[in-house]
Amino acid sequence: MKKTIITFARWGNYTIAFKTIFDQLGLEVIPPEPTNPTTIAEGAKISPEMYCFPLKTTLGNVLPGLRKGANTVFMVQNIGGSCRQRYYGAIQKKVLEENGHQVNFLDFRATPRDIYRTIKKISGASSWQIIRAARFFFKKLRLIEKIEKKAQFYRPREIKKGTTDQVLTESLTELEKLNKEKDFPRLRKEILKSFSEIETEKDKKIPRVALVGEIYTVCDPSINFDLESKLGKEGIEVHREMDITYHLKKLVFPWKDWTIQRKINPYLRSTVGGHGRDAIYEMLHYVKEDFDGIIHLLPFGCMPEVTVRPILEKIHLESGIPFLSLSLDEQVAEAGINTRLEAFIDVVRNHYNSKQ
Amino acid sequence: MKTYLGIDVGSISTNLVLIDEKNQILSSLYLRTEGDPIEVIQKGLKELKNYISKYNPAIEVSGVGTTGSARQLAGVITGADLVKNEITAHAKGASFFVPEVRTVIEIGGQDSKIIILENGVAVDFAMNLICAAGTGSFLDAQASRLKLPIERFGEIALRSDNPTNIGSRCTVFAESDMIHKQQIGYSTEDIVAGLCQGLARNFLNNVAKGKNIKPPIVFQGGVSENLGMRRAFKEALGEKIIVPPYNTVIGAFGVALLVKENHPQKTKFLGFEISDKNIKCTSFQCKSCPNNCEVIEARIDGEVVARWNDRCGKYSNLKYD
Repeated sequence: MKKTIITFARWGNYTIAFKTIFDQLGLEVIPPEPTNPTTIAEGAKISPEMYCFPLKTTLGNVLPGLRKGANTVFMVQNIGGSCRQRYYGAIQKKVLEENGHQVNFLDFRATPRDIYRTIKKISGASSWQIIRAARFFFKKLRLIEKIEKKAQFYRPREIKKGTTDQVLTESLTELEKLNKEKDFPRLRKEILKSFSEIETEKDKKIPRVALVGEIYTVCDPSINFDLESKLGKEGIEVHREMDITYHLKKLVFPWKDWTIQRKINPYLRSTVGGHGRDAIYEMLHYVKEDFDGIIHLLPFGCMPEVTVRPILEKIHLESGIPFLSLSLDEQVAEAGINTRLEAFIDVVRNHYNSKQ
Repeated sequence: MKTYLGIDVGSISTNLVLIDEKNQILSSLYLRTEGDPIEVIQKGLKELKNYISKYNPAIEVSGVGTTGSARQLAGVITGADLVKNEITAHAKGASFFVPEVRTVIEIGGQDSKIIILENGVAVDFAMNLICAAGTGSFLDAQASRLKLPIERFGEIALRSDNPTNIGSRCTVFAESDMIHKQQIGYSTEDIVAGLCQGLARNFLNNVAKGKNIKPPIVFQGGVSENLGMRRAFKEALGEKIIVPPYNTVIGAFGVALLVKENHPQKTKFLGFEISDKNIKCTSFQCKSCPNNCEVIEARIDGEVVARWNDRCGKYSNLKYD
């Protein structure tokens, strides 16, 4: 049998943590090509036209790896609850085979047991090794999420524009290079120190905007046109609850879903798949917290998010909170997004000033 | 005399408005962009310069603002003090003429938008997403297909007492439905009036869907010149439709007001001389990181004055003098 060479789909800054797992288990891995217009176009070219946007980008991510000799693709199922994401593995395998790639798809469900079994099967590593790799994965993941949150706070308050983004990029690069767990505490300290050294106006009062919507588009800056950074540079603090930890927590502790359902009962009485219910729950939460705007992100044709959009619009009309829904796909031009975003920022500022 | 210049470079038209300290419009220009924003801005500035030297040589420009889809480019080549999105600019312009305005319907060459205002500031807005149905360029195309001058399009629509029903969910289907109605013998007036009604319906169902439309309603942008569209909106909404003065150049007027409010200490305006200079824009792909941004570079007389469109700021943060 040929040696297993793995490649996998990219997902924002979290890609770094995913790569760690394979590295730690001694598997050969070709990291996915970063998402840029070329990879998106490549993926979209061979994908079914009406399929959701993330399928096309993730396909574009793995193509260069396959050309470089990878023969196995890692694809998680069900990461967004029950939606078409479940069939990504099957569809991508078919699409790739039709285009002449012989690939083996490791298509597994996002439950701890299934993940463990899949990894065990391909790596042949001992349980102890897997637990250690998982621990390292979580350490990195938690740090990435932490510095993302820090960046959201620092960006609008920094004195020299662009410092936060620079520190964030440098930190992520360092984190990607790190492959010994024992060096992690030192690097963590360094990274947090460099963040605390950013000069800011700490007590500045500024408008706050929350990002809600589909997890992939919300979390990946290369998909959502660097939304967080753009808002931050305009002096707006961004909040987002959606990240991998949030999703994993919900998998392990299902009662979070019960709380969400109870809270959104006046608006929606059943699940609509994906993170549809979560978007309503989050929006209600942010309205209560007196935020100054909500941006709803979804990939074009995302069924759960399209279903809840009218509900979000209703909450927006009832509460008066500024609301913008952006649907993203390979045909959306950045200029159009920018115009809407700039206008939205003006609306958010008007809202914020009228409250003062 | 201190004046402020607003420039709105859209897909179809480019408008320049010069206002004085008392918000009086001294001069307004409506030009066709014709796919060359740089040349049309130069042409506009040249005309404005002629106007100033002819009527009042004491006029000096104390601030320039740009808006429209080419606002960034226009801002770079004129040296604007303020670059503002067209939604805010239109809201500003509308609330100047109708201070208590609650709803602004703006239909331009390629885009249409609705703005909801409260106390003179925008609180909500929507723009057409993918479809350009009902915008100026579609009406333009249909007018030339029917061999009608676009200026008379609205007037012809008003002559109809019995507009036909034209399916308007999609531009392409609206067109084939229109052809079909022609083939079976409807009069031109009824078809034109039906088209206006269909487009108003399309706007209200797509762009304005879920928005709180309250009077007073202001209708502006190039398409608001069309009497048929005015009537169609009036009938569809059951409300009075106000078309403000300078309705076609109101975006430029709005941004001129905004730049005046901003009070630039010293304007960055490069002067009317740029209309005689050689301005060129080129683009190149930055290979420094995997983002592969298409960086755009503007040169005036061979010298780089600005670069933009990079995500990280490597080029846009550089200083160019």
